[in-house]
Amino acid sequence: MALEDFAAEMDRCSQCSYCKWIPFDQMKSWRFAKNCPSVSYNNFNSYSARGRYAVARSLMRGQSGYSDTVRDIVYKCMTCGACDVSCKVCRYNLEPLQMVRELKFRLVEDGQVLDEHKAVVESLDKEYNTMRQPKTGRGEWADGLEVPRLFSGKAEFLYHAGCRFSYDKDLQKSVRAAVLLLKNAGVDVGIMGEREMCCGGRVYSMGYRNEFTRLAKANINAWAKAGVKTVITSCADGYHAFKRLYPQLGSQVEVIHIVEFINRLIKEGRLTLRSVIPMSVTYHDPCHLGRQGEPYVPWKGVEKKIRNQIIVYEPKKPRYNGALGVYDPPREILRSIPGVELVEMERIREYSWCCGAGGGVREAYPEFSMWTATERIVEAKATGAEALISACPWCERNFMDAINAMGDTMKVYDIVELVQKAI
Amino acid sequence: MDEKKARLMEIVGKAGVFDTPEIGESFSLDHNLIPPLKPRFMVKPRDVVEVQKIVLWANQTLTPLVPVSSGEPHFRGDTVPTAPESVIVDLSGMRRILKIDRRNRLALIEPGVTYSQFLPELQKEGLRIAMPLLPRGNKSVIASLLEREPVMSPKYQWNLLEPLRSLEIVWGNGDRLWSGNGAFRGEREEDWKNGLVPVWGPGPRQLDFYKFVSAAQGSMGIVTWASVKCEVFPDLRKLFFITAEKLDDVIDFTYKLLKFRFGDELFIMNNACLAYILSNEPDEVESLKDTLPLWAVIVSITGGHILPRVKVEAQENDIWDIAQQFGLKMVPGVRGCRSCELLELLLKPSKEPYWKLRYKGGSQEIFFLTTLDRTPGYVTTMHSAANEHQYLVPDIGVYIQPVHQGVCCHCEFILPINRLKGVEMLRIQELFRDASFRLFRQGAYFSRPYGIWADMVYNADARTMLVMQKIKKIFDPNNVMNPGKLCF
Amino acid sequence: MTLPKNVYMALEDIVGAENISDDPAVLDSYRYSLTHTAIHLGPFFDTYTPRGAAVLLPGSTEEVQAIVKLCNKYKVKFKASSTFWSAQGYPSEDNTIQLDMRRMDRILEIDEKNMFAVIEPGVIGATLQAEAMKVGLNTHIPGSGCSCSTLASATSYFGSGPSNLYGGWHYDNLLGLEWVMPTGEILRTGSLGSGCGWFCGEGPGPSMKGVARGFIGSKGAMGVYTKCAIKLFAWPGPGKLPVEGIVPAYKTSLPNNFKAYTVAFPSWKAWADAAYMIWDTGIGYLAHRQFNMFGRDLKYAMIKILTDPTKTLGDLEEILEDPEVQRVTEYCKRDFQIILVGMTRRDIEWQEKAFDEILARTGGWKVEAMHEPEIHKWVLLYLIRLGHKNLNLVFGGSYDGCFGLLGSADYGTAHAEEAAEFKKEWEKRGAMVEAGGDCMMGPIGGQGGGGTCLWENFTCFDPHDKESTDGTLEFFDACTKLGLEKGWGVGMEKWNSVARGPDGRTTPKEERDRIHLAAPQPSVFRYQHRIREAFNPNDLGDAYYETLEDS
Repeated sequence: MALEDFAAEMDRCSQCSYCKWIPFDQMKSWRFAKNCPSVSYNNFNSYSARGRYAVARSLMRGQSGYSDTVRDIVYKCMTCGACDVSCKVCRYNLEPLQMVRELKFRLVEDGQVLDEHKAVVESLDKEYNTMRQPKTGRGEWADGLEVPRLFSGKAEFLYHAGCRFSYDKDLQKSVRAAVLLLKNAGVDVGIMGEREMCCGGRVYSMGYRNEFTRLAKANINAWAKAGVKTVITSCADGYHAFKRLYPQLGSQVEVIHIVEFINRLIKEGRLTLRSVIPMSVTYHDPCHLGRQGEPYVPWKGVEKKIRNQIIVYEPKKPRYNGALGVYDPPREILRSIPGVELVEMERIREYSWCCGAGGGVREAYPEFSMWTATERIVEAKATGAEALISACPWCERNFMDAINAMGDTMKVYDIVELVQKAI
Repeated sequence: MDEKKARLMEIVGKAGVFDTPEIGESFSLDHNLIPPLKPRFMVKPRDVVEVQKIVLWANQTLTPLVPVSSGEPHFRGDTVPTAPESVIVDLSGMRRILKIDRRNRLALIEPGVTYSQFLPELQKEGLRIAMPLLPRGNKSVIASLLEREPVMSPKYQWNLLEPLRSLEIVWGNGDRLWSGNGAFRGEREEDWKNGLVPVWGPGPRQLDFYKFVSAAQGSMGIVTWASVKCEVFPDLRKLFFITAEKLDDVIDFTYKLLKFRFGDELFIMNNACLAYILSNEPDEVESLKDTLPLWAVIVSITGGHILPRVKVEAQENDIWDIAQQFGLKMVPGVRGCRSCELLELLLKPSKEPYWKLRYKGGSQEIFFLTTLDRTPGYVTTMHSAANEHQYLVPDIGVYIQPVHQGVCCHCEFILPINRLKGVEMLRIQELFRDASFRLFRQGAYFSRPYGIWADMVYNADARTMLVMQKIKKIFDPNNVMNPGKLCF
Repeated sequence: MTLPKNVYMALEDIVGAENISDDPAVLDSYRYSLTHTAIHLGPFFDTYTPRGAAVLLPGSTEEVQAIVKLCNKYKVKFKASSTFWSAQGYPSEDNTIQLDMRRMDRILEIDEKNMFAVIEPGVIGATLQAEAMKVGLNTHIPGSGCSCSTLASATSYFGSGPSNLYGGWHYDNLLGLEWVMPTGEILRTGSLGSGCGWFCGEGPGPSMKGVARGFIGSKGAMGVYTKCAIKLFAWPGPGKLPVEGIVPAYKTSLPNNFKAYTVAFPSWKAWADAAYMIWDTGIGYLAHRQFNMFGRDLKYAMIKILTDPTKTLGDLEEILEDPEVQRVTEYCKRDFQIILVGMTRRDIEWQEKAFDEILARTGGWKVEAMHEPEIHKWVLLYLIRLGHKNLNLVFGGSYDGCFGLLGSADYGTAHAEEAAEFKKEWEKRGAMVEAGGDCMMGPIGGQGGGGTCLWENFTCFDPHDKESTDGTLEFFDACTKLGLEKGWGVGMEKWNSVARGPDGRTTPKEERDRIHLAAPQPSVFRYQHRIREAFNPNDLGDAYYETLEDS
């Protein structure tokens, strides 16, 4: 695809500003009504999806040119997809998330890049991770776990830890617990360890399509060599990349997030959580597991019109609007932990507020990223919950940093950590 | 013959010009706080063309005009000339009811149409109009609505000017304009059939013309025609009292009724006010005051043409339940007054003499807008001021009328006075002045600033005054319309 | 065109560097496409409003006042908007600075007892409703939906919507108002100006709120409104709307005192009779002919799509072939939606009985297919929150409304079918969505308590397609011609063409004068001219405030 492919949408955007709000039906208060961190923080219309449609059109037509402001507008989008969900409450023929991605791709292609992102890409090129850490240390999180390395072996299931979990020691309890869970469940699972490569999801959302493609193909090949049929991950970013992006490049493996797997085990009676954890918790839906975690449906088709001017697609186009994201498994897990009381925030499921880490924003705009996370912490605290639970290390890290900066005492757990405590 | 008189006679005919001394007296002040000036003439135009000619003449000769539609007595000083050589424009002769349309619940009336005249005609068509409390029989309907006199049924008041809709206005500069969609005129039967009816109040377009003549005390222009919104004449009507020793005790109950829009006529009175309404003779008042409850919420429930009994029964039971929730009781009568008796009175204009005058022959009113929850505080202030000025507190009638569907309320203190007692009158004037200022400083909003209230409010709200003066310059550049009123 | 540097710097000093921009890309995101729902003008293919000189995000009344005073000093035009939906909120001239009021978005107060809220321009209907509901209150939401600014609707435009009937339209609901006038002075109307609070917008004496807005507002052309109080009304429901369902088919289960009906009638006369009876009887919380905006032929099929999260527009044709859908479509031809809300159990029971009686007397019926529980729950949420008004543009990405037939129920119903037939013939030409001609949407009760209806005939087209856009314009021109021939007047399709023309800029004076001179009362515009001279002597707005010079 190219940005020009969205020219029609640029004209057909309703200019209604629904992209700035959670679906109105779901609004419960003034305080937690907004959905887009970008326009909420920066305020100018250009920082919203409708604004980016207009900016893209302006650039395409040569009515304006690249500037610091334009880069700011484009790269301060977390590609969280909240705008997409809200737009699609009413519209069936607009794809704002795809458009903002194309806008980023275009800027990168044209060399309009940020130094902070360049640094990440360089790290990726050299060390296969986005954490700017040596690749040799990647597998250390799994030391002592006795799990096969699939770069020299085969297994049906691959557990992919991801860059954040691999290097962020504070979070590693979770991935270790995940692997143990899988092993104890009798799953034929291996890891890539120090040969694991980034999924490419992060740089994809920064606008680096080629780098992503390169990584994706490398991963797909590595899995094929290892005979992997199913990839399991605890990282929502990785989940989205493998599930929604990789199939576009030919991947055919099944992709499961650890919460789906654990939930399946609980339902099948293969995992019982007995230890009481008396705690009130609230759950944060990661963007890439929730609204962007919908199954991929391949489609190739064209636009057509019915009834003169109703825009539809031939064949019927699959609809990605957050309806089929992974929302219930983590909630069912939490509800099955004795003593845990789940209280919901106002913005949840497909209209969840982003953690602030995505799209290269954490790397390039730390203040904005922290503001976004802080907003979420405030929302979490408003529920009265003692702890904030999520299922993505990027979310968890951003929340932990925000809580630290706030001087607050709210706890943040990866859901697997909590499960492990309850076993 | 006086040139002015001659010219006026050319416009309205010989019989339409009056310059006898009596006209001066009938427009002299009941109000006593404003020095009266006797008018030079009174003219009675017969139609809008004559009105327009009068206004144009006034501009040419710089003659002040004071429009009047209602019969005497006049109370508030707005019809008292405050400039020399004024001419009263008496519109009471323009008293046609041009149209009553049941389907659209609209009536077209001229300014001289009074409540006494209007109500029976409406009833014949199955209609009624949201009424102020016991207006004088000779009170002009248009004048009452233009003055923003509060109506008894807050639920029908979607904005403060309701039920006033389109107007025909002759501005102070002589222009004639129809506000709302009065340009439809509604003169042709086929227009009514086709639905081209003057049902809107605001506009046209981006100016709200009728707001400029609202509570303007005739200082912007003369209204010669209005469409007014009516309600269905109910098949069934019941009236109830909810009483209490203290005003505070009925406030929240009243709020509940307002929130649910239960009840039709709905207001609060104290015993004195109710006594003034019920009494026929002055010496009945004291015993009535002693008998009647100190405070009463009066609520009527109406049922229209669709299942009236079902509706009335439902609301009656609901209001009963609500009263109980607040530890109150809803009763169909109180000692001293049965509901049918009061209902009979409320649905008509006041009998003669006008109810506020029956006790002592004269009456001073202090009224303003506020929110219902603040009214007990204002009652306390009024009582305090009365005590300080040796006015008997039990004589103060209190009438609290929720308006605009309960967003605010009209709060009125009625002070019967004996105009013949000079010393008493002086004390009343002092009390009036003092109480008005104290209430204003406490937050009472004098939205209809008669007499001394005008200086009071416009000194505090200079910006509004400046805007008003600009508007006045546009619509009455020569200041011929009732000069000296408001801030003009 | 760029703003002189000294002016830019002075403005930057007022709002802060982070709240002003003249970057061309940013400015282009503040241009409105006139191919679009320009609201009553156009559509004009590939035409945009002029680029602003700068866009500012003021944060307070003081900042707004300082900006306006500066604009007067340097004779810079300015135009404020809150949500920037519809061309009305955009400049008509070059060198205009744009004020984005989004940062001023506080709900300052909700007075539960006296039932009003005090709000800033950035407050939208949805958030006001959410907060009001917590204390048992509700707000009227204009027909453009809950994404729009309540203050803007009340002060600057129209304010009519589905809940006019019970909630009053926003003209009725506007109480105290804080207005930064075009010269920078601040007028606080009514009780606010007297320091008594927000509860009354009128007076003292004649109401100067009448300068701020009439039947419609000044559409951003006369200063900036920075706060207002808005009247609320009772909400006898849960403090939060209990929403269920899979996106986008959200729905709500409300207690039994909430009932949504779609009713239909054997004739337009019966339809009108029912409207009058509803108004006479005083029942109803909300009444609107809403879903007909999709078109007589398509509305029920669209409901089937919207209430099923697995369906998309791509399923429309298949659904239309279903005989049951065809039957229901025919059955609800002359319909409208109504929500009855009882303050108590007895109240809803009485209203239901009264409504059934009205249907019996007029020969109307409840459309049972629309009361199927899942659809009923969807309809309740849709109409109460009115958060799906982007559906106006669902088909091709744009729409505008023609005709209007604003007036009493008898007026609109007398001409509705003729207007529908006219459109139906034009639909066959291909420029617009073929939807059955009658795509008329509007309130049952244009003002509090009823009295009027509006028949906005939705015309849906593709703004990316020149033939579609040009064909729609041709159709609108034909509508205007028909309206004038029939004595209906100029319809909604042209209500704003006096303000802005095909180049996106102010309509030339000769054309404006021609239109105003042809109005029933040209003096109205002459007075507006004098008002503008008095209050906006530097003429820093635009022709959305309509004026006619004295001859």
